Amino acid sequence: MNYPQRMNEAVTAPPVGLSLGRSLPNDPAASGRDEQTGEGAAVPSLFGSHRGPLTVTDNFAVLDDPVEQQDFTEFSEVDGRQVAESVLMVQGMYCAACADTVECALQNLPGVQLAQVHAATRRLTVRWDPALTRMSSLAQVVGETGYRLLPMQQALSISERLRETRRALWRLFVAGFCAMQVMMYAWPAYVATPGEIPPDIDQLLRWASWVLSLPVVFFASGPFFSSAWRDLLRGRVGMDTPVSIGILVTFIASSAATFDPTGPWGHEVWFDSLTMFVFFLLGGRYLELKARDRTAGALDSLMNRLPEVCERLKSDGAFESVSVRRLVVGDVVRVHAGQAFPGDGEIRSESATVDEALLTGESHPIVRTRGQAVVAGSFNLGGPVLVAVQRLRRDTRFAQIVALMEKASTEKPRLAVLADRIAAPFLVLVLLAAAFAGWYWWQIDHGKALAVAVAVLIVTCPCALSLATPAAMLTSAGALARRGILVRRLQAFESLAGINTVIFDKTGTLTHDQLKLQAVRTRDGVDPAHALLLAASLAQGSLHPVSRALVRAQSDAAGGDHVPVRFTDMQEVAGQGMQAILSEGGQLRLGSAAFCGVSGGATDEVDGAPQAHLADSQGWLATFELQEGLREDAQAAVSALRALGIQTWLLSGDREAAARQVGQAVGVDHVIAGATPEQKLAEVVSLQTQGRRLAMVGDGLNDGPVLARANTSFALGHAAPLAQAQSDYVIQGGEVMDVVLTLKLARSTMRIVRQNLIWAALYNMVSIPMALIGWMPPWLAGLGMAGSSLLVIGNALRLTTHVPARPSDTLSGMGLSA
Amino acid sequence: MSVTTKASQPAVYNDSVVRGFAVMSVIYGVVGMLVGVIIAAQLTWPELNMGIEWLTYGRLRPLHTNAVIFAFGGSVLFATSYYVVQRTCHTALFSNKLAWLTFWGWNAVIVSAVVSLPLGLTQGKEYAELIWPIDLLITVVWVSYAIVFFGTVGIRKVKHIYVANWFFGAYIITIALLHIFNNLAIPTGATHSYSAYAGVQDAMVQWWYGHNAVGFFLTAAFLGMMYYFIPKQAERPVYSYRLSIVHFWALIFTYMWAGPHHLHYTALPDWTQSVGMVFSLILLAPSWGGMINGIMTLSGAWHKLRDDPILRFLIVSLSFYGMSTFEGPMMSIKTVNALSHYTDWTVGHVHSGALGWVGLVSMGSLYYLIPRLFGQKKMYSVPAIELHFWVATIGIVLYIAAMWIAGVMQGLMWRSVNPDGSLTYTFVESVKATFPFYVIRLLGGVLYLSGMLVMLWNVIMTMRQGRVVDVPVLAVNPAHA
Amino acid sequence: MDVLYLLVPLSVVLVFAIIGIFWWALHAGQFDNIEREGERILRGD
Repeated sequence: MNYPQRMNEAVTAPPVGLSLGRSLPNDPAASGRDEQTGEGAAVPSLFGSHRGPLTVTDNFAVLDDPVEQQDFTEFSEVDGRQVAESVLMVQGMYCAACADTVECALQNLPGVQLAQVHAATRRLTVRWDPALTRMSSLAQVVGETGYRLLPMQQALSISERLRETRRALWRLFVAGFCAMQVMMYAWPAYVATPGEIPPDIDQLLRWASWVLSLPVVFFASGPFFSSAWRDLLRGRVGMDTPVSIGILVTFIASSAATFDPTGPWGHEVWFDSLTMFVFFLLGGRYLELKARDRTAGALDSLMNRLPEVCERLKSDGAFESVSVRRLVVGDVVRVHAGQAFPGDGEIRSESATVDEALLTGESHPIVRTRGQAVVAGSFNLGGPVLVAVQRLRRDTRFAQIVALMEKASTEKPRLAVLADRIAAPFLVLVLLAAAFAGWYWWQIDHGKALAVAVAVLIVTCPCALSLATPAAMLTSAGALARRGILVRRLQAFESLAGINTVIFDKTGTLTHDQLKLQAVRTRDGVDPAHALLLAASLAQGSLHPVSRALVRAQSDAAGGDHVPVRFTDMQEVAGQGMQAILSEGGQLRLGSAAFCGVSGGATDEVDGAPQAHLADSQGWLATFELQEGLREDAQAAVSALRALGIQTWLLSGDREAAARQVGQAVGVDHVIAGATPEQKLAEVVSLQTQGRRLAMVGDGLNDGPVLARANTSFALGHAAPLAQAQSDYVIQGGEVMDVVLTLKLARSTMRIVRQNLIWAALYNMVSIPMALIGWMPPWLAGLGMAGSSLLVIGNALRLTTHVPARPSDTLSGMGLSA
Repeated sequence: MSVTTKASQPAVYNDSVVRGFAVMSVIYGVVGMLVGVIIAAQLTWPELNMGIEWLTYGRLRPLHTNAVIFAFGGSVLFATSYYVVQRTCHTALFSNKLAWLTFWGWNAVIVSAVVSLPLGLTQGKEYAELIWPIDLLITVVWVSYAIVFFGTVGIRKVKHIYVANWFFGAYIITIALLHIFNNLAIPTGATHSYSAYAGVQDAMVQWWYGHNAVGFFLTAAFLGMMYYFIPKQAERPVYSYRLSIVHFWALIFTYMWAGPHHLHYTALPDWTQSVGMVFSLILLAPSWGGMINGIMTLSGAWHKLRDDPILRFLIVSLSFYGMSTFEGPMMSIKTVNALSHYTDWTVGHVHSGALGWVGLVSMGSLYYLIPRLFGQKKMYSVPAIELHFWVATIGIVLYIAAMWIAGVMQGLMWRSVNPDGSLTYTFVESVKATFPFYVIRLLGGVLYLSGMLVMLWNVIMTMRQGRVVDVPVLAVNPAHA
Repeated sequence: MDVLYLLVPLSVVLVFAIIGIFWWALHAGQFDNIEREGERILRGD
């Protein structure tokens, strides 16, 4: 279980969830390379200046912890020396050149024997000598180039996935090549007039076709047979059953005709239809696998976190860095500013200022004193705090929320797998029809009987039907991915198209996760800019949200040119504010009204919007009004949703006033405030019982249970990883308008799916009778199947036009594709 | 897949063989094109046969085709394939001795051709005229070539085999197969033999060979060249490396069976002709895939075409490639073929591919290669490259336009019948009508040859001011392979 | 068209040969990491 590691640990890189496409910075001048350099001259690499996008300041010491290393490193002995091989994930890669940079950074280090980055999965394999170097040093060096190394979870499942895709490609290739060659052998029979081809040549061509059909039937078709066999053992009829029967019947009949052209099986051969049929089926499956790999790979990059490390107090009074997993109840740990508390515990220091967004979703600092409890996963906003650990891992409050989330997701209204329910009886019917047609025609003409049976089986192959839905959904998923929106489950398109209510979280979703300075009021004679400069300088060292907002406002206004004012004796008083002595003398205080000695009705909050005050020796100096900045597109998004006929709700853990203010600003229909994660979940359940179909948009762990329970859910890019893991859609750019875009796309997608299904149904309805009557030769059946599949795919491709590219996107600027 | 380097000397690429072939290719280019101009003149003014048997059109034509395809084209391919395989595999050639054998052997083949063909010694098979002893020599050279090339790939220091090498490898194997099967013969003496096949069977084998000579020697191999030199000159990677691989497999597979389209409306059975037609049409797709891949490599950097004539050679060659690979399938449709067969349209098609695609891509690649082989950054004169480009292009356009018009005209004239069923035109009338187009075609060819002469001059000047340097093999850190 | 007795079996053999070569290429990892191989030739040299 991974706690959020650090505050605001948003990846600032371009969306990493996209596979790598071609790219080279279109700027040869920057590479320092000559136009036509002669041989022998030392030429700087074209990628010398390529860097990653991250600023990496992590402490990688935990990677040296043997317990952690077990997860991603294998040790072996080579020539008497120990060799380690580690698999890690590279975070921050956005183009193929990134892989080169990482490899180059590592390969020149002493002790590194091999460094290979697999671009598509962002996987680094590094072989190193533990006697000469350490993992943390390697990670440090890579960090300096702008990428972060993380232990790769699920490394094994990725290898397995790649192997599976490779096998699928192999089968496809074999089927394809054999199909093409067999088609060539079959062609003469179609174009020649009867008797034009000498019988011995005719036989030669059949033999050759038979030989080349063997690999297709006995190897490439493997997946169909094994799946049909499994179904058979369970007494069911699946999609692969008629396919398998079709292949077998066709092959056996054609083989018989080849070996004994004058025999009872007739002399028609259908090796070309057979091989082409298998090729197209395998093609569809291969494409699905590739798409699955792409999505899964994208999500892997979101899910990997650095294992937590913390400082544990030793018996001799010193501190040691240990992995969080090694903590036991009773340990005393030191938690620094900005770090998360690794367990539920009791404060041993004077006091601590904490951010419990984990529980409430709102980043209002709370002051706790010695003896009071802190919660695992909440952040320390003040100076270093000593905490005695009381509950760890599964016993923590954090874990309880996660458990709630997992439970909610299994109770989620399950979407009926319609295809499966209808398919079984349909397929049985098909088999019966084929058998009947075969029996009927057998009385009339043996050869025709086989042709008819084969044609019926091929034509009823529900290819178009089975492609209808995935083709559209995969296309949409791909189009969304290019825009930075990840789709975790394709079925979510169906859920999203059907919703009539959208529930928004407040902080971080409709508003930015940060406070914004709205106004400055000063006493007479004081320049607001100067007041801001004083306040910001004082606030520099504090993690309090108000302080951070002031510092941001100052740097926005000044452009970073101003020299901060100098102080001495700077102090942060927990829960109250900051104070210091000015260089020219006199005290300066920033913080709550009480702390600054401001009277006369001044408060720390107006209508839910926080205020901070500045006072000097002369008294009140300035008041800063802050507000949670609304996301720029929040109001537009909510209006757009209402225009689509969707009801909107705001569900927040924050106080009533704050929630109402935001709710009114964006224009939602209903506001519910002050909800704990459990209350949020209850609210959602009751709405669902009333018959509402909901989509939830959130970002925090406290939204987790709701995200899991809602009919469908969106997580914004900076959301806690666990929240992202439970959401159907991840909007990496964090723009609320993308919710509207995705909703519209989901509706279009379902429309296309319906069109495809109707087409597939019509095609079957027309062609099955034709095949039964005997008007459909097998080759036409195969061609028709291929044609209708292509039509379905083509229709689905129209969806790519529904998602406009983002103009300012780094991706399009670099010419990347997903 | 790795070989420890010998001793303590840093390994150097074997560029001397490359140099040899590169320089000879320019010379053979001039020779082959000169013979071409001569026979074009002879077609225009038959008096130019001058009654000298070794200089008659019938004897010189195969000399022209062999010289431009095998002497010029072959030398360029040897040079570039040896160059590319070494650099993409980060190793020197597998065997210097064998590589030199291929050089001297190939040149011996060419010299024998220059001697034997005007003497009238021939097997009578298109692009396979050389008599059986020379065929044996070719086999020896080719086997050595295969050993050198695949051996080098075998000792490569990087795991991945760059796509250009796949194209080169396929062409080497296929040509070996084609050469051996088509030239199976029973000798009757030192200079004569009978083909192992007879009649229409021989025709079938011949055109299975003939079309694949075009498909693998003149297309696949030069595509390999293209996939290396365009990215290098443009300093951008291939537009879609994935597509290049798919393109490779699709192309080599479909090319094999397009041969019968040369035999439409002949004694070859109809159904065989149809197979050829269908597969020629299918061939359109992989061919254009390659073209698009190559041209789009410049995507985002089109401005380079403005200033770089070498890149222009390479990219324009791809346009001609696209044109020819569209025209070809069209011409293999039976109804179209009924008009075009035996006319000068076929000649026009051949030359748009040969002058436009093969010629220009070779020139572009040589202009990249030759300075580097002589320790230079650029050719002696870049304006001369520019001049060559324009002269060559204009020459090509004149050539093929003239041949298109002549060809269609001939086809129409030959099939034109009067209401009573008799032919409207006599054959000689169509010949007379063709005359002006032969003049234009000759002019086009002269221009093309002049361009080649400019290139020869430029190459000589570059050689004179350059110097031969040993280029160390670019080491690949094993950690990076 | 007796020459087909040569050409057709030859083509069958060729198809198997091509399949074999593709098998080798696939399992030797020639198709892994495709995106980067196109750029490799532009380095150094």
